[in-house]
Amino acid sequence: MLKKLKQSKTKIITVLFSLLLASFILVLITCVVTHTTLPALITSIASEEIQFAIKLSLTTAVVSTVLCIGISIPAAYALARYDFFGKSVVNTILDAPLALPPLVAGVGLLILFGTTSFGRGLADAGLVFVFTPLGIIIAQFFVNVPFMFRILRGTFQSINPRYEHVAETLGCTEAQAFWRVTLPMSKNGLLAGSIITWSKGIGEFGAALMVAGATRMKTETLPISLFLNMSCGELDLAIAAATILITISLISLFVFERYGGFTRVF
Amino acid sequence: MIEVRNLYKDWKEFSLKDINLEVKKGEYFVILGPTGAGKTLLLETIAGFYFPDRGEVWIEGQNVTNLPPERRRIGFIYQDYSLFPHFTVEENIEFGLKLRKSTSPDTNRKRLKEIMNWLGIAHLAHRYPATLSGGEQQKVAIARAIAIEPSILLLDEPLAALDLRTRDYLREELKRVKEELGITMVHVTHDQTEAMVLADRIAVMMKGQIMQVGTPYEIFNKPLNEKIADFVGVENILSGVVRNNENGVAEIEVDLGRNIFAVSDYHAGKVKLFIRPEDIILSESRGESSAKNVMKGRIEALDDIGPLTRVKMANSLVALITKQSRESLGLQKGEEVYATFKATSVHVVR
Repeated sequence: MLKKLKQSKTKIITVLFSLLLASFILVLITCVVTHTTLPALITSIASEEIQFAIKLSLTTAVVSTVLCIGISIPAAYALARYDFFGKSVVNTILDAPLALPPLVAGVGLLILFGTTSFGRGLADAGLVFVFTPLGIIIAQFFVNVPFMFRILRGTFQSINPRYEHVAETLGCTEAQAFWRVTLPMSKNGLLAGSIITWSKGIGEFGAALMVAGATRMKTETLPISLFLNMSCGELDLAIAAATILITISLISLFVFERYGGFTRVF
Repeated sequence: MIEVRNLYKDWKEFSLKDINLEVKKGEYFVILGPTGAGKTLLLETIAGFYFPDRGEVWIEGQNVTNLPPERRRIGFIYQDYSLFPHFTVEENIEFGLKLRKSTSPDTNRKRLKEIMNWLGIAHLAHRYPATLSGGEQQKVAIARAIAIEPSILLLDEPLAALDLRTRDYLREELKRVKEELGITMVHVTHDQTEAMVLADRIAVMMKGQIMQVGTPYEIFNKPLNEKIADFVGVENILSGVVRNNENGVAEIEVDLGRNIFAVSDYHAGKVKLFIRPEDIILSESRGESSAKNVMKGRIEALDDIGPLTRVKMANSLVALITKQSRESLGLQKGEEVYATFKATSVHVVR
């Protein structure tokens, strides 16, 4: 017994570290969730302000996720299947938002949509991004699109083009072969990508704050609500927002692990 | 009928150089070559997955060089079956039928049943490909390809991933497809037995080029050069000089101590001699054989390969004999034997 213990000294030390880290995370989450009483939490969640934040968060995240899917599918397919001039540069640029601090991304979006003639043109056409929910959507899209793109690129790369070849001999055009064969075969990747993009969209703060500002009951998503209520001492409301965010994150993580464990995000 | 004219194609590490082929209607045509020769690329270019850099592809008298695969009326079968994993067996086979606008759903349904029965896979109809054995999957792939009644069937190493017994069985199925349905077949393989058993004609392909086209007999017994001879299993490749020629039988001086007699038109000069190992007969005494060539030699090695034994002699000749004749001769390493072969078994090239 003693000998065995001695042999696995490394094991004991390393496991201890992992337990330490796990308890740190657990304590942190528990602190947030138990900071207020259950009745107070329920009242806060039912409050008009938190209800508004929940709805705004859900809608903006769904819309930005749909945008991410719609644009990532063709882009990821091109980079997975074809060779073209400048491909590696394009690949690097598409990954760039991952490394960019969201606040910086937000500044960029604010300048693009707020000060350039492009942004003013859009605003004149009725698409106002600055200090509106549209700004939240574009911020979520910009920050999160690399996740969707990378998962889909990996998924498409893992599907042998031979499936499409065979489909074409059976009468499909290239587009039909993609639609009927490749896309259904990518459903796990699509699901995993959507989940991670959506849940990151729900939690998006920095870039959204820059573009859409933090206006109560107007651009107040859950993280913005947490920030606003924290700054003015409305602790119960802040905790309610935080608790909802934690719940969404945990559920998303579970679903992602279940369906997307095979894809590499980073 | 397929015609490939002056075709060139570079793709990744493969390239096709000036390919010219003519496959006749209803023919079983095998493209035989080592790994990396560009066989798959050639097949995929015929199918239209890639456009050639230069040259033309004609199918059934029509120039299809610029047509997409879906308009070429071909079936394609890959080594890894490439069945759609999200469809059942039935849905896989129906895939192409449903895309046809010319036939009614009832006709398609009938055709589906007919094909599944013909290949004996009706009982698998509702299974998913992942639950099938390799042989079953390949049968489904064949069914899917022939369901749409293609005029040609292109097969890329279709038997390579299967075990020996299934391979033999499916080989017969492929013969049946050709004979009963009359489809023109182009089959790519590196396996000589497969080529020998299935082919009406064989094209030997190496490093992106067609080296020789001929019947199995011509390819295996009359290879055009040393490289082809080596690839098709001619183990005895000798260099010699023609000293004499009497009535079409050349006497050739080689490094074996005795001259070799071969049926050849050459009267002089340096030549290469190819003798297939199975054409060499071993015996303990000189005997009364009518064969022109008899060489005495000591046995250096005996290797069992399946039902055959490969005998390597000290004079570098290699013979393939059956296990039975090995036993009845009681061959041992170090023993002296006579190797006999006919003048017609020696193929002479410049």
